[in-house]
Amino acid sequence: MAPPFLEIRNLAKRFPTRQGREPSPWVIRDLSFAVGEGEFVTLIGPSGSGKTTLLNMIAQIDVANDGQILFSGDAIAVSDPKSLRPGLDRRVGYVTQDDNLLPWRTTIDNVLFPLEVQGRLDDKTRAHAETLVKAVGLSGYERYYPHELSGGMRKRTSLIRTLVYDPPVILMDEPFAAVDAQTRAQLQEDLLRLWEMGRKTIIFVTHDIAEAIALGDRTLVLTKQPTRIGAEHKIPFRRPRNVKDIFALEGFASVYETIRAEIQ
Amino acid sequence: MTAIDQVISGSAEPFISRKMAIFLGRLGFTAALLIAWQWAADAFGIIFFAPPMAVLQRLWEMTASGEMFLDIWATLKVSAIGFVIAMIAGAGLPFLLRLSARFTEAIEPYIFWSQGIPKYALAPWLILWFGIGELPKVIIVIAMSFYVIFYNTFAGVKAVDFRLVNMARVIGASEKVVAREVIWKSLQPFFYAGMKIAMPHAVGACIVGEFLVSTEGVGYYIEHARELSDTVGVFAGIVVATGLVLAINALVNWMERRALAWRPVEREMR
Amino acid sequence: MKRYRLIDRVLVGVALLLLWQLGSWLLGTYWLSTPWLTISRFCTSTWSGEMLRHAGYTIEEAALGAIIGAVPAIILPFALRRMPTVVAVLDPFMMGGYGAPKLALAPLFILWFGIGIESKIAVVASIVFFIEYFSTLSGVRQLDAKLVQMAQLVGASERQVARHVVFPSAVPNIFAGLRISLPIGIAVAVVTELISSNRGLGYLVQIGAMNFDVTQVFAALLGATILVLAVGYAVDGTERVLLRWRPPADSQQQQLGTA
Repeated sequence: MAPPFLEIRNLAKRFPTRQGREPSPWVIRDLSFAVGEGEFVTLIGPSGSGKTTLLNMIAQIDVANDGQILFSGDAIAVSDPKSLRPGLDRRVGYVTQDDNLLPWRTTIDNVLFPLEVQGRLDDKTRAHAETLVKAVGLSGYERYYPHELSGGMRKRTSLIRTLVYDPPVILMDEPFAAVDAQTRAQLQEDLLRLWEMGRKTIIFVTHDIAEAIALGDRTLVLTKQPTRIGAEHKIPFRRPRNVKDIFALEGFASVYETIRAEIQ
Repeated sequence: MTAIDQVISGSAEPFISRKMAIFLGRLGFTAALLIAWQWAADAFGIIFFAPPMAVLQRLWEMTASGEMFLDIWATLKVSAIGFVIAMIAGAGLPFLLRLSARFTEAIEPYIFWSQGIPKYALAPWLILWFGIGELPKVIIVIAMSFYVIFYNTFAGVKAVDFRLVNMARVIGASEKVVAREVIWKSLQPFFYAGMKIAMPHAVGACIVGEFLVSTEGVGYYIEHARELSDTVGVFAGIVVATGLVLAINALVNWMERRALAWRPVEREMR
Repeated sequence: MKRYRLIDRVLVGVALLLLWQLGSWLLGTYWLSTPWLTISRFCTSTWSGEMLRHAGYTIEEAALGAIIGAVPAIILPFALRRMPTVVAVLDPFMMGGYGAPKLALAPLFILWFGIGIESKIAVVASIVFFIEYFSTLSGVRQLDAKLVQMAQLVGASERQVARHVVFPSAVPNIFAGLRISLPIGIAVAVVTELISSNRGLGYLVQIGAMNFDVTQVFAALLGATILVLAVGYAVDGTERVLLRWRPPADSQQQQLGTA
C-alpha cells in the first residue's frame, strides 16, 4: 500500500524550558494522523489546544521536540531549528489567521506576489490569478490597497494568494474566524468551489463545529493540552455540499452533538 | 530534558555573554577610531589632521591656563540666556494661542514659514544692527531653540484631554486653576520632550553663532584657530564643543528621568 | 469659521508687511529695507539669473551632500538587520554623532577642503547621515515579523525578503527622516557658505552685509527661505504619492523641523 500523502507520527512539542525551572508542560504529545491526497481534513479543538502550533510545525516554521512528519513516506527534519524550511519549498501553503497582506501592494499585486518571488510570473499564471480574483468576487478591486478593503475582502485576497501557486498541501488556520457569519458562509462556499476545481490536500483548523462538518471529508477532534487526536469522524455528506443548508441535512445534528460532547 | 530542549532554551553556554560582547565591541571600535585618527595624522600631515597626542596636550594647556573655562562659560552664559527666553516664549505662546482658535489658525502658516528662514543667516544682518557681541548670538540662540519648544508645547496643549478640562470647569475651577492643574500636568511630557531637544540645540547654536559673530566662546576659539591654520586648535575646540553639547544632553536626560520617575509609562525603553 | 481662515491669514500677512514698512519708516531703510524694495530686488535678481545661479550652487551642495549622507545611512540598518550586536556596539557612537553639533565641524571641513563646494557637501552629508540612520533604523526595527514569515512561506530568499518586505516597510520612516533632513541640508549649506564661500545664497547674504546692503541681505534670505520650504513641500508631495498605500491615520506630514 502506498504511504499516505501526509503523515504525522507521535508529534510532540513543548515550549522552551527556562533555565532552573520545572520543565514546561507538553503542548502536544503523541499526536498522530494521516491525510490522503486530495483530502479535505478539518481539525477542531478548544482554545489552547495548540492548533496553530501544529500547523506551524507542518509548515516548518517551528520545530518539534519529538515525532515525525512524512510526506509520501519521506520524513523531514523536524527538530533542528537551523534546517527549518518555511513552506517546505512551496509544497506547503499556509493561510494564517492574520491576512498578512503586504500593505504597499494592491490586491492583484499581493496575489501575484508568490509567483513573482518564485519566478513563475507569466501570462498563463497571471491569467490564473485573475481567474481566482473573479472566483472570490473581488473583480474590480484589483487595484485597491489593503487598507481600502474590508476584513472579508482581505481574507479572500489572502486565501487566493496561497492558492495561486498551487501548493500540494494547504494549511488553513481559522481563516474565517474574524469575519461575520454571513461573510463566513459565503467564504466557505467560495472555498469549497475553488477546492472542487483543483482538489488540493487541505488541513483546515477551526473551533466552529458546524464549519468543520460542513467543509471536511473527515474531522479530527483535538484534545486539550497535552493535545492528541481524540476522535476521528468521517463526514457522511455527499459533495458538492450546500454550506448554507447544512444544518438541515439528516444526520447533521447527531454528528454535531457527538463532536460537541467530545470537545468538552 | 532532551538535547533539543537544551538547544532551544539556550542553556548551552555561549562563549561570552552578549553584554560583554557589546562592551568589548565598543572598546574595540573606540580603539579603532583612535588608531585611524593617528594614522590619518601621519598620512595627511599635521595641517589637516592634528595628532591625538597634540590635541590632548592642547586641551591640557587650555585647562591649565583657564582658557577652557572662560570659553565654556562665555558660551554657556549666552546659551542659557537665549534658551530661557526661548523657553518662556515657546512655552508661553501656545497658552496664549489657546485663547483664540481663530487667531491661531490665522498665524499658523507664518510660524511654519518663518521656520524656513535659515536662522544663522540672520547673523550678518544682526551684526549690522548690534555689532559683534553677545546680543546677536542671544537672538540666534532664541531663534533656534524657540521652534522646537513651541511646537512640542503646542502639540501638548492640543493633546490635552478636553474632557478633563471641562470637568474641572464644571466643578467650578477658575481658568487659572484649570491651566495649572489639568493642562500643565498633561502637557509636561511634551514640554520636556521639547526642552530635551532644545537645550543641547541652544548650546550648539551658540557655538555656530560664534563662528559668525563673536570674540569669545568655544565657537570663536574654533573659527579663530582655523583662520590661523592652527589645526590642533580646531581639533581641540571641536572636542570641547562636542563634549559640551553631549554633556548637556546627558544632563537633560538625567533631569527628565528624575522629573518623570513617577510615571512608569513615560520611561524610555532603549 | 473655515471660510474666514483664508481671509484671516491674508489679513495677518498684510499686517506683518505693514509692521515691516512702519518699522522701516521709523528706523530707516538702511536698517530694515522695505517690503517693496526687498521683493523687487528679489525679482530683478531672479530675472537676471543671479539669484537662480546662486540658488543652483546651494541646491547642488545640498543635493550632493544629502545623497552622500543618506545612501550609506539607509543601507547600514538593512545590512545590519541580522546583526543586532553590531548595531548595539555602534549605538553610542551613532548617538554621539547625532547629538554632536555637526555644523560646528564646518571650520574643520573648510580647513580640509577649502572654500569650494566640497566643504559644504561634507557638512550637509554629516548632518543628513545621522538623521537618516536613526530614521531608517527605526523603520527596519518596526518590521512586522509575520510579513517576513509569510514571504518565506511562499519561497522568498533572504534578498527577496529584504527587497519586497523589509525595504518597503521602512520607506515611511526613511521619508520621515528626509522630511527633516533635506530642508536642514539646504539651510546648512547656506550657513556654511556664510562662513566661507564665493558662491551660493549664503554668499549673497554675506556680500550684502559686507556692502551694507540690507535689501540684498533680505532678498537672499527670502530666496533661501523659499528654497527650504520648497524642498519640504517637495518631500511631502513625493511622500503622498509614494505612500498612497498607507491607512490615513498613519500618514505624517510633519511640521517639525529645526533649521
